[in-house]
Amino acid sequence: MTIRTRLTLWYAGILTLSLLIIGFGTYREIDERLRHEHRREPEEHAIAETSEMVFQVGLPAIVLGLLGGWWLTRRALSPVVGLTEAIRKIHERNLREPLSRTQNGDELDRLTEVFNGLLARLDDSFNRTREFTLHASHELKTPLTILCGETETTLHDESLSAAERERAASLLDELRRLARIVDGLTLLAKADSGQVALKLDSVRLDELVRDSFADLQILAEPQQIGVELAVCEEVIVSADRHRLRQLLLNLADNAVKYNQPQGRVTMSLRRSGDTAEFTVANTGPGIPPEILSRVFDRFFRGDPAHSSAVEGCGLGLSIVQWIVSAHRGNVKIDSALGGITTVTVRLPVQN
Amino acid sequence: MRVLVVEDERKTASFVRKALQTEGFAVDVCGNGDDALAAVRTTPFDVVVLDIMLPGRDGLSVLRQLRERKNTMPVLLLSARGEVNERVEGLNAGADDYLPKPFELAELVARVRALTRRSGENRSTILRVADLALDTVSHRAQRGGAQIELTAREYRLLEFLMREAGRICGRMMILEKVWDYDFDPGTNLVDVYIRRLRDKIDTNFEPKLLHTVRGTGYVLRESP
Repeated sequence: MTIRTRLTLWYAGILTLSLLIIGFGTYREIDERLRHEHRREPEEHAIAETSEMVFQVGLPAIVLGLLGGWWLTRRALSPVVGLTEAIRKIHERNLREPLSRTQNGDELDRLTEVFNGLLARLDDSFNRTREFTLHASHELKTPLTILCGETETTLHDESLSAAERERAASLLDELRRLARIVDGLTLLAKADSGQVALKLDSVRLDELVRDSFADLQILAEPQQIGVELAVCEEVIVSADRHRLRQLLLNLADNAVKYNQPQGRVTMSLRRSGDTAEFTVANTGPGIPPEILSRVFDRFFRGDPAHSSAVEGCGLGLSIVQWIVSAHRGNVKIDSALGGITTVTVRLPVQN
Repeated sequence: MRVLVVEDERKTASFVRKALQTEGFAVDVCGNGDDALAAVRTTPFDVVVLDIMLPGRDGLSVLRQLRERKNTMPVLLLSARGEVNERVEGLNAGADDYLPKPFELAELVARVRALTRRSGENRSTILRVADLALDTVSHRAQRGGAQIELTAREYRLLEFLMREAGRICGRMMILEKVWDYDFDPGTNLVDVYIRRLRDKIDTNFEPKLLHTVRGTGYVLRESP
């Protein structure tokens, strides 16, 4: 029940109660007067006169009061409706834009002021987290460069035994994995704070899809996974070629990594109206519904037992999501446990 | 061949110097931008390896200054920021190549070497390594008189390796030149392609030409 209805009902109750008290008082007054005038059957006359008054004056007064109350609460609460709409539009990225205030100093204006203060504090806190990630990934790069360089130098030391060389090589592999994670973090932290500019060109998406399908064939071969390019319609999008390549390769790679032996991967690119729709479907083990909404989260690993066997930096799908939204598109993932998992990317077609 | 390394981080400067010296380059090291500008004024270096983050005058500013003076010395930019925009910014400022940190030493050496190469080298349309021949016009490969069928990507990979014959090629460099990727995809794409190429050009022939350099990359040459 809305505050407005509740207030109106209370108001109606109070008016009715007042009317009853007034009616009772009037009845007593009339009754006494009639008795004083020694009328016959004074009670009946009193009731008749009272109810006449109540119906002719009291009821219209109540109706008028109710309408007035309804109008009054609506007026009083209308800024709240506006406020609700404004708050509904707030998300993580527009915290910097404060809600507009009436400046009349009333309770709701003060509430808006306090709320804007809360937004500013939240924005600060988000910014600090972003900056922290950005600085942390920068700071990690210098020691990582030194570690990689020194390890690589060690690897080429002729006096090393085969076992030592193997250890150094394995160390170097892990260092490079770490470097990829740091790269991914830097990219996402920069994207979060709007520091990555896309280099937009007219791009033949179908050509990029064919290229990445060729890569998919190669990636799938060692695991005997069958691949198919079901449809590949000609589509031109306004996009950053390198980021789209990264997006497509990431999805192709995932479709192979999270698949069953002798499974299948099917790619398709269709144009429907103003939208290019690219899908990658695989016969993977499927993603349980409870974690489906979290697969785009950074460093999210669904099944620890499965993912430990799969190498990756844990940021692939987060990067995919960023690339898609930076191109004003959307990405979704559908999955049936034990069935087909499909990733669908929609991008606006260039006119 | 003489290389100037402009890098303020002592350890990084040290192993970069060592790696380049091992490959036969004479190496000078500068710790800041002003020293670098002074050094290039007096010495004709073949390549400058320039870090972007330097104390005082940064690498991009050094590079712009250099180009304003009409100095065409090849410059390889290094950057810890390693981000796409910066690559574009660096190349626009007049850099000849760009390498994000952390980089692979073999990669760095290969790029420096590529920058020192005189244009006109390898102009022939037929590339040869031992008895392997690649026709860059008809895109046909032959070894020991036998035709080898290549897909478009395999051709580009082989052409790149043959042009760089005898030099170690890092994975990132291969991804960049053959795939046009400016990011590290973290997949084993290159390794798988190399394996396929090896099946085609090496399996039935001796000596083996395509070698893996553990932890660094690949090289096409006669001796292992």
